[in-house]
Amino acid sequence: MSTETVTPEETDVGVDTERVALYAVLGGLVAFYLLPIETGLMTSLKADPFSSAPFLPPVEQFTTAKYARAFDALGHGFVNSFLLTIPATVLSALMGSMAAYGLTNVDWKGQVGILALFIAGIFIPYQAVLIPVSKFWGSIVPLETWFEPVWLLTPGIEQYHFNVLELIITHVAYGLPICTLLFRTFYLDLNDEMIEAARLDGASIARIYRRLILPLSGPMFAVVLIYQFTQIWNDVLFALVLVGSGDGAMVTVVLAQLGNNLSSVGIGLKMAGAFLTALPTLLVYIFFGEQFAEGIAT
Amino acid sequence: MAELTLDNVSKVFVEDDGNHIVAVDDVSVDIRDGEFLVLVGPSGCGKSTTLRMIAGLETITDGEIRLGGEVMNDKEPKERDIAMVFQSYALYPHMTVRENMAFGLEESTSMGDDEIDERVSSAASMMGIEELLGRKPRELSGGQQQRVALGRAIVRDPAVFLMDEPLSNLDAKLRSKMRTELQRIQEDLGVTTVYVTHDQTEAMTMSDRIAVLDDGRLQQAGTPLECYHEPSNEFVAGFIGDPSMNFFDVEVQGNQLRAADFTYPVSDETLQEIGDRTNLRLGIRPEDVTLSTDGATGEHDFETVVDVVEPMGDENNVYLTFDTGGEPDEDDETFVVTVGGMQQVEAGQPVTAHIPEEAVHLFDESSGEAVKNRSLEQVETLGKHV
Amino acid sequence: MRDLARDAKRLVGRLGSAEDEVRADGGEPVDTQGSGPIAALKRNLANQQFRESMPFWLPAFLLMALFVYGAIIWNFMLSLTDPVGLGSPDYSDLDFDMYVQAFTSDSFVNATVNTFVLLVAFTLVSLVLGLVVAILVDRNIRFENTFRTIYLLPMSLSFVVTAQFWLWMYNFDNGVVNLFLDVLPFVDKVRWFSNPELALPAVIFALIWQFSGYTMVVYLAGLRAIPTEHYEAARVDGASTFKMYWRVIVPQLKGSTISATVVLMVFALKAFDFLYALRGTYLPYKGTDILATLMMREAFSNGHFAYAAAIGIMLFVLALGVVAPYLTYQYRSGQL
Repeated sequence: MSTETVTPEETDVGVDTERVALYAVLGGLVAFYLLPIETGLMTSLKADPFSSAPFLPPVEQFTTAKYARAFDALGHGFVNSFLLTIPATVLSALMGSMAAYGLTNVDWKGQVGILALFIAGIFIPYQAVLIPVSKFWGSIVPLETWFEPVWLLTPGIEQYHFNVLELIITHVAYGLPICTLLFRTFYLDLNDEMIEAARLDGASIARIYRRLILPLSGPMFAVVLIYQFTQIWNDVLFALVLVGSGDGAMVTVVLAQLGNNLSSVGIGLKMAGAFLTALPTLLVYIFFGEQFAEGIAT
Repeated sequence: MAELTLDNVSKVFVEDDGNHIVAVDDVSVDIRDGEFLVLVGPSGCGKSTTLRMIAGLETITDGEIRLGGEVMNDKEPKERDIAMVFQSYALYPHMTVRENMAFGLEESTSMGDDEIDERVSSAASMMGIEELLGRKPRELSGGQQQRVALGRAIVRDPAVFLMDEPLSNLDAKLRSKMRTELQRIQEDLGVTTVYVTHDQTEAMTMSDRIAVLDDGRLQQAGTPLECYHEPSNEFVAGFIGDPSMNFFDVEVQGNQLRAADFTYPVSDETLQEIGDRTNLRLGIRPEDVTLSTDGATGEHDFETVVDVVEPMGDENNVYLTFDTGGEPDEDDETFVVTVGGMQQVEAGQPVTAHIPEEAVHLFDESSGEAVKNRSLEQVETLGKHV
Repeated sequence: MRDLARDAKRLVGRLGSAEDEVRADGGEPVDTQGSGPIAALKRNLANQQFRESMPFWLPAFLLMALFVYGAIIWNFMLSLTDPVGLGSPDYSDLDFDMYVQAFTSDSFVNATVNTFVLLVAFTLVSLVLGLVVAILVDRNIRFENTFRTIYLLPMSLSFVVTAQFWLWMYNFDNGVVNLFLDVLPFVDKVRWFSNPELALPAVIFALIWQFSGYTMVVYLAGLRAIPTEHYEAARVDGASTFKMYWRVIVPQLKGSTISATVVLMVFALKAFDFLYALRGTYLPYKGTDILATLMMREAFSNGHFAYAAAIGIMLFVLALGVVAPYLTYQYRSGQL
């Protein structure tokens, strides 16, 4: 880059006032985007949310009791959510990577058609498939019934674990289109000649994946894993229909019901619960914001 | 043992809209064991497709490719005992140089680690890259990557080397250095080599034989000098040599060839070769024309005017127009002559161009086939006259 | 989505003639040419590369196809059956009764209207806001990454989480929105969610808050793709900052706008999560019932599976109506 590049701004005459106004607007936007979150955080730390303006920090009202109660309510949901999210994320990323490889770096006729079906799958509204999916797991492939002896006899394995397994498979299936597409964009940029060189070096399709593609996919795995983690962790729809409330309930489903039977005083509990629920995705976002942005921008 | 035969090989691509594109059309070449063959031609002539069919990266639509007498058509690339050097080098970016070179041996042989190590070391020393073995490709310069790519091919000890424009990403100086080095290595190893390039200088300087392709068809396969002095058709004549051969449309009238701006008398021998053809293309290489300021004395001397001079240092490219008496205009045909760098010529200067008949090529106007090539009687070997 | 279009373009490009020669083995040899998918499959099976590639994509494809396309077909069949309560539906007697019932139902018409209002208002405002923010962020500001991270932050949160925040923001007594209104003269506090007139706008505003950061990211990528020379040329031509953006820069963002629109609309169709989480029941606040919530309520609260399936199919058609022109447009312009 040349250091001589003149940006339009630097040539402006009224630099100062214009810049000040610009930063003022940007700061106002920061307030706009952060205010609901900040308000929630402050409220969650107050004994009485109505004692002061909601966005002001707690002074005499400071308490962490809401978090303790929220954790009691959400703790089990947390475990379930991790039980779901981690395997579903890893599986969908891995299968997406493999599918993208088979549809991008190996040449055969008809790839475009298969790929088009994958891409169209990104856009379907889940309401259009939800009843069949719930019937599928309910009566065609009822894993919890099939594996009844397993959960009856094995300590540590519960009936609802098989609902979670169904949910994992469901999330993998609906995550595959976007995962495949993300990996495909990445694999298209790989050097074709490199893969041809590996073929001439005697590597089979599987060996090329194992020794070249997979080690080179690191950056895209970061993007896809983060995207999928956020999507699956945040989901309510499938969690609600396929597992619902009860022992197997995901943290989002528990949160949606949290404090509803309380008076508006329960609002602090709701806020604390919201923060606990958001914590894993917030951490992921703070540490891997770039990858998150890349994932959603595609 | 490793002669490579292309027998009426064709490649047809079918596009989505049903269009058939003939990329390679009925090409036959025999490449002898240890021979260095350069496939040369303009962009889109089918040379890379031909190479990729040999490699097994493209299917063969028609014809047969045999290696050491064995038909290769249905064999996977890995079963063909070939190694290829790519234009982009195609190094594996996450592996060290050593791992890059070992990869092929690990995947295609049952060699032990020690043996692989030994092979890699000896190939690396041959290429002078021993101290780079621990580095990753991105830590190497273009020239070093090039050497690694070659080393990776050498270490496989294949029956055939295939090279797809391997030098085109290097700067001019490094390219000419690598040209010599590649030639030396190929001679030392004695491995049959097929080398694809669009650069006729590479073709001329490196090859044992050149195969010139155009529009999917083999135009000529011969030694560099054969292709230069005895081109089988107008395309080869124009493609090989820089600056290109000059061509003029001529019509046979008695013992004269009439061009737009000049008339060229020919001998009876030449007339015999022309036979009953009436329309020809006359070709003359720029270095075969001599310039003087003495005025036209012979029948093959022509009055011309210097249009543009391109000084190259060692020689000058002089663009001439025939002096037809009238005002010079845009439509005047120019032709190019090279003269020594110490010979000063200026634009606008009238000069006499001598076009010797023994250096003239004639081509059939419609088919482009060579009718008469220059005579090689006056070829001299340094120190003695033949 | 632009990347997707670009890839598809390249994929097709590889089949056509490239600069040097036709590189990829995309075209099949003439001598084995046949027609129809069966012949194509036979040819492919003869291709070792195809056989070796199958373990990579086929399991993923079958799983995806079963859950996406299998489920949609099943859902469509289900929507043609008649209501049966808890028994299994009778697939031998198919008709469009459920669709007729939907079109004559007030709740369906109402939900459809709300869905369109949500789609249009949410998408339009998000686009405009996102574009403005993107232009501001693109003006060589300091701490650009920090600003961008903050603006995109709501997008990383679950609908359930943001629903809790906005529930509190819109609280009558001590919500930030009402406190703000209180400060303004001549404006009274408002009961946002219990007023059917205001509930939907309130929801739309919250969704815009959550997703305009996404539009910003898409537009920012579009702005970054415009060469600096265009700004400089406009400057040299004497255009003011506003004119420069309006006449030179914004017209070049057409691609970004189209892809952002499609994705925003798909988000909007998924707004069920947010509406559900506001109350924790299948019945959303009055005035905010959209097709997605109606469908869920009919299916999983009322057990009207055939009717709900019909609504699901109409939602699918609606999504198709948004996505199909987009994909066709990409295809026509040679990008697919």
